[in-house]
Amino acid sequence: MKCFAYAQKLIVVLLLMMGLSACQSTPQSLYQKVGEQAGLERLVDAFINQIGQDEVIFHYFKQTNVSHFRAGFVSHLCDVLGGPCQYDGDSMVQIHTGMHINERDFNHAVDLLIAAMDEVGIAHPVQNQILAKLAPMRSEIIKI
Amino acid sequence: MPFFALKDRLIVTLSTALLGCASIAVSAKTLIVVDQHGSPVNNAVVELLNVTTDRQPTKQIAIMDQVNKQFSPKLLTVMQGQQVSFPNSDDIRHHVYSFSEAKPFELKLYAGTPKAPITFGQAGVVVLGCNIHDSMVGYIYVGQSSAVLVSDEQGKIDLPDHVSEYLLWHPEQAINISERTKMNWPDAHTDMQVTIELVAPMPRNTFGEKFKEHHGQ
Repeated sequence: MKCFAYAQKLIVVLLLMMGLSACQSTPQSLYQKVGEQAGLERLVDAFINQIGQDEVIFHYFKQTNVSHFRAGFVSHLCDVLGGPCQYDGDSMVQIHTGMHINERDFNHAVDLLIAAMDEVGIAHPVQNQILAKLAPMRSEIIKI
Repeated sequence: MPFFALKDRLIVTLSTALLGCASIAVSAKTLIVVDQHGSPVNNAVVELLNVTTDRQPTKQIAIMDQVNKQFSPKLLTVMQGQQVSFPNSDDIRHHVYSFSEAKPFELKLYAGTPKAPITFGQAGVVVLGCNIHDSMVGYIYVGQSSAVLVSDEQGKIDLPDHVSEYLLWHPEQAINISERTKMNWPDAHTDMQVTIELVAPMPRNTFGEKFKEHHGQ
């Protein structure tokens, strides 16, 4: 009887350990690190405000539908950062073709995104991981 | 001297021609469209009813272009059954849509990738927007016949003598956008003034509108 109780206790401890190690072996996605859907919405809203008060790149956005941009960027980020979304909007090439965005304006937009990430309190190492995910799209956005 | 004589004769000929035109204009009827403040209304549409004009749709393809993130023209009148082409003269993409009952559709217009024209088979009002650029608003008025006329900047529309009943519509009318008001032309009147109540268009859902206090407009 006593031995049985001991075995039971052991199983509970083992299960607990397995559970813990399972947590440790599944690293958080960037999507989770930024606070999932609600966190992405806060970030994109902050970015929209950065653009709205900017003088350099505002003209690209002046006639843009705010809700359309917000929904598209949230969904795109969710997809790229490993969230449970499938971005089905236009490709980066389709969106930016004809805008003739130069390096200076592109870099300025990145600065505004960094300012938005600072504003919503995303830690710098996480910011760097996010930028690393977005960086490969640069050639699909500028000078087209 | 012979040169002057020739010039004189030319003037006489031209004047006669102009008088000819004027006499046609005088015999026609004139409608002036004004708003509730008495100001002339441009782009009011009048569609004549009970006309004997050709009801077969014209084969001519009408054009609603996209230029500098605006529809061009802002107002297009076509005939029921007529086709409309939507080119894109901008370098960037547009995503044109209509939720109007007369013709719901959407058209993704990428620069340099033409789309087939769209047939507008039902008479009525089609309001156009662009999903990407909310500042873009356009209108296609689809008439039952080709007897559709638009007022000029003085609010003036020249109508044929036989006008009796007509429909009146304006993109900024206070009543429902799709409603065309049936009007009667009183016998014996040659000149008429009609009042249409207009409202200011709703602000658009754009960055320009949202952040206008930061950008001086």
